[in-house]
Amino acid sequence: MKRVYLHPLPLRIWHWLNALIVIFLLATGIQFRMPGIAALWSHNPLLAWHKWAGLAMTASWIFWVIYGLATRHFVRHYTFRRRDFERMVEQARFYLFLIFRGEKNPFHPSPEEKLNALQKLAYGSVMGIVTPVMVATGLIYTSGFRIGGTLLPFDTIKTIDALHVAGFYLFALFLMVHVYMATLSPTLFTHIKGMIVGYEEHPEEEPGEAVPEAAATSEAKNTNQ
Amino acid sequence: MGIQREQPDLLESSGGRIHLDPLCSRRQTLKWGGLSIIGLSMLGPVLARGETAPLIIMEKAGGLVVADTALCVGCGRCELACTEFNDGRASPSLSRIKVDRNLNFGPAGAPAWREGEGNWGDGLIVQDLCKQCPHPVPCADMCPEDAIVLAPGTGARVVNLEKCTGCKDCLKACPWEMISFDTEANKATKCHLCGGKPKCVEACPAGALSYVVWQDLTEKVPARIDAAALPLERSRSCTSCHVPGQRATLREGFRAASGVKWIDLAGSILIPVAAIFVVIHGMLHRAVKR
Repeated sequence: MKRVYLHPLPLRIWHWLNALIVIFLLATGIQFRMPGIAALWSHNPLLAWHKWAGLAMTASWIFWVIYGLATRHFVRHYTFRRRDFERMVEQARFYLFLIFRGEKNPFHPSPEEKLNALQKLAYGSVMGIVTPVMVATGLIYTSGFRIGGTLLPFDTIKTIDALHVAGFYLFALFLMVHVYMATLSPTLFTHIKGMIVGYEEHPEEEPGEAVPEAAATSEAKNTNQ
Repeated sequence: MGIQREQPDLLESSGGRIHLDPLCSRRQTLKWGGLSIIGLSMLGPVLARGETAPLIIMEKAGGLVVADTALCVGCGRCELACTEFNDGRASPSLSRIKVDRNLNFGPAGAPAWREGEGNWGDGLIVQDLCKQCPHPVPCADMCPEDAIVLAPGTGARVVNLEKCTGCKDCLKACPWEMISFDTEANKATKCHLCGGKPKCVEACPAGALSYVVWQDLTEKVPARIDAAALPLERSRSCTSCHVPGQRATLREGFRAASGVKWIDLAGSILIPVAAIFVVIHGMLHRAVKR
């Protein structure tokens, strides 16, 4: 067993707080859209809570951006390199087919690069596109669809509404897949435990298996360049 | 021998010290008994939530007065006709129909539902009357005396003057601010449709007012009373009819969903498909691991 330190403390705290906020926002948000699903409480306090949680989400996102820029977190883990396209296909093939043949995950997270190509894409689009869109449209909601005192045209309101709702579905999708794939680790709770304590425990690789592959990809990359 | 040996113990125990180790001493009995009585009595109002007084639901009124804003000249004759017929005096502030300009003065901005452009309101003349809310009736629900009742014939909600104590709770409950208050009589008063022949309609010189059969205008009713603001015994009653997750409620919820519907359609296909995919993936993965 080798222990890899993947998640620094601030990021772990942020991750779980953000998870709470997202789940709360989804749970309250669905009731405005489909009040019949769960009329747990009367409408009014929910709206206020949703707004406050939305502001918390804004703060959370700003923290993520500042942290990512300040600690070179983005540069290290989110930079999309050319070979990532191949690795993305490889990773997808693994999750769709090879995993059922009992093969090992082709990607090995390390403190230098902890996200595989698919993760880069998924997390990058959720945190880089969906969340800012949700925050921006949510803030427009909070302003009563007024920008600078003038009410927005109805079609714009509809578009903003559609974006916010689309974001809801994407978040729900992401949450579902994220939680499921977190359990696709060597043991059921490796990744989840890693997100709590920071260290992930991985079974020792047999040197004959992993190293040549990594060397081969880096060679291929070198020749490409 | 045994009996003789036990007797001193019993005597000893009855005289002063207790070492029978009973389930409960007298002091404990009094203490816990008293506390549980107090506790149970405090539970009373909690258990009574939504049980003793159901939410008031009234039949629809036979009709209601509607106004054509474009025709109204703002002369205020309807207000005079209303108070002359009902109160025998000219007192527009008491009128059940309220005609004024939509100007948002005061720190609180526009009253209730009124929204105009900018800070000052749109300045249009608005005519407001009781909407005869069918369900729930905010003023009747709030009234501690149950003084707001259904008038036979017109089906209007009227104030029973004998029961009304002038507490003004209904004034606060009405989302449209449509209840008037007679300071001389110290009674609340509201539109009762004048027995089916509203005097305001008869008095209107511009033909702006008309008495029409009920149409469901309540879709535009703004947020009604907050459940927290209702009397305790009525605050849980909504759920006794609108059972969460019920099919009808669900359908209603979907219909009420605002904005673009195709996005909900897409989402309600995407999410279950993804969920099924995840479940199949998980089951296959588990089977392979074994």
